[in-house]
Amino acid sequence: MSDLKALIEAVIKGDISTATAETQHAVGTGHNAQDILDKGLIAAMDEVGERFSKGQIFVPQMLRSAKTMQECMKALEPFFQEGSITSKGKVIIGTVKGDLHDIGKNLVSMMMEGAGFTMFDLGVDASPERFVQKAQEIEPDIVAMSALLSTTMPSMRLTIEALKEASLRDKVKVMIGGAPVTEKYAREIEADCYAPDAGSAVSKAKEILGIS
Amino acid sequence: MPFYQPLTPEDIKQIDDTAHRILEDVGIHICDGVFLDELKTAGAMVDYDSEWVRFSADWLGEVLSRAPSRFTLHSRDGQKDLFLGEGKVYFTNGGRVFRLYDAEADDYRLTLLRDVAQTARLVDHLKHLDFYIIACQAHDLAPESYHLNDFYHALNCTTKHVMGGCDNLDGVRQVWELASFIAGGEDKLREKPFVSIITNPISPLTIEANTLNILAFCGKYGIPVTCAPAPIAGATSPATLAGTLAQMHAESLAGVAITQVLAPGAKVLYGAVPAIMDLRNMEFAIGSVETGMMNAAAVQLAKLYHLPVYASGGVTEAKKPDIQAGCEKTLTILLTGMVAADCVHLAAGMLDSGNAISYEQYIIDNEVIGMVKRVLAGISVNQVTLGFDVIKKVGPGGNYVTEDHTIEHMLDEFFYPNPSVRLNFDIWQEAGQPDMLSSARVQAQQILQDNKGDLLARDLIRNAFQGIQNV
Repeated sequence: MSDLKALIEAVIKGDISTATAETQHAVGTGHNAQDILDKGLIAAMDEVGERFSKGQIFVPQMLRSAKTMQECMKALEPFFQEGSITSKGKVIIGTVKGDLHDIGKNLVSMMMEGAGFTMFDLGVDASPERFVQKAQEIEPDIVAMSALLSTTMPSMRLTIEALKEASLRDKVKVMIGGAPVTEKYAREIEADCYAPDAGSAVSKAKEILGIS
Repeated sequence: MPFYQPLTPEDIKQIDDTAHRILEDVGIHICDGVFLDELKTAGAMVDYDSEWVRFSADWLGEVLSRAPSRFTLHSRDGQKDLFLGEGKVYFTNGGRVFRLYDAEADDYRLTLLRDVAQTARLVDHLKHLDFYIIACQAHDLAPESYHLNDFYHALNCTTKHVMGGCDNLDGVRQVWELASFIAGGEDKLREKPFVSIITNPISPLTIEANTLNILAFCGKYGIPVTCAPAPIAGATSPATLAGTLAQMHAESLAGVAITQVLAPGAKVLYGAVPAIMDLRNMEFAIGSVETGMMNAAAVQLAKLYHLPVYASGGVTEAKKPDIQAGCEKTLTILLTGMVAADCVHLAAGMLDSGNAISYEQYIIDNEVIGMVKRVLAGISVNQVTLGFDVIKKVGPGGNYVTEDHTIEHMLDEFFYPNPSVRLNFDIWQEAGQPDMLSSARVQAQQILQDNKGDLLARDLIRNAFQGIQNV
């Protein structure tokens, strides 16, 4: 049984093909899946987080590593019983109705996925009805909305109202963000939290769910 | 004459070729069935499943040739018209921010309709700002009535040309109805449009239905328009400056071409708002040095097609009118000015990566722009300015202070700064140690205090447009 050094290195580098091959190799050489996850992938991502917080790597590298980890997880999934891999939480995310800007929303989604949340991305121009429908379907912990245009911000309020009407509002936390969105606006429309950027979206999400 | 050209002719050709390849092999996502049909009829290659539209180089060249290389952005009084495509460089403020830095309170607040009126008054009085862009979002209004109110109050506070961002057809229609009324008829507005519209594609390579509707409307009614891409290198365009320029060039040309399909001969500006992402932490960096370089390059690319250009300079990441603001603004305004962009927008008032304004910053940036205009005016060399006769007359050991030659040239040769402080040390101390910001604050207050009247026939217009609010 070899150690997981090569896997860890590949995840840190964001080298998807080497990392997935190393994951398969680790499985083939007798590592158990939980060890590969804990001592390989998560250990690698801890190191990535450490390097990022020291400014040694940049966001694209961190996101590549997160993506690499997700690909490796796919290879490990058959070894876990359904539901035994814990998610930090389920999150529906989308750019609100009338708005087609999605770079900010996509960054938030990638960062949250990298941090262990399970993301359901509604894409752009997502109507209140679509948020409600998806929320009924998957029972998320968080509904996250993004808007770039001041003229589409009111869709956030409408979506929150639609969640209320569907009796879902008290079952989910609502998070909002986007250039013109402010803390004050979040309070006005009774969102649970406002995140000014993708990095803080992760910590805010953990905060409102009461997890570390 | 451009003083700064970051791209060689060979660079320009390579970027232009790549933009053509992008438009021919990749295409633009057009999010509207009706416009897909129109473009197909006009000869573009349309894939209805992906909604991607591709343009051959020949087709593009033919369509772009319909765009005028010169036109005028009129002022309401005819005194401050802007002649685009003639090598002149015009500067203006930036638009649609949502926060204001109040230097006196050293605090921030959300912008209001009153701020649209006040910034228009500032621009009206600031000599180096050539036209006005609707500066901020009126948080005290519902979005449905933004445009009518924004343009009414802007036109009521300045006679300079007024440009503004639009998000949808209803908004541009409000602007057109109001401006037609003020002009004394649709035809008069078409003849001398004193308003123009900014809209944007979404990088990468996407134009949404609202934008297309705005382009079609403006083309139909003779309102000058720009469809200005704002790619962010490393996020919504390649991390290389050349790659971002190639994509932006494709997006800009597509905007111009589509407008010409919808309304041949429409007055359209090649738009450019390229910036970068700071990939250390994903902060939008439009005050970056690369922003200045790319905007200058964009101007060269627009000129390849003889299109008037709407470029950008003068934004900062700084949150206050501070040292960083001064450095970043000066550099990008200078670079974009020195390449002889027809219009440099965002050049005054902006803070916080384009999210905030401050009144003081308008005064300060007006000064920077004044200095850049001085640079552009160049050094005049002729027998009179060389001054041999006066040098001979004064001779060794004299001075020039009271010479006719001095008095004849002192007004034209020098730029006289205003909020910048040029005081002898003792006098400066006695004056309470003023600095550029404190002087700017006094000037802004003075302009706003002295100018409170209506420039428009208030009652007449308000009777016709019930939705106009007071400020």
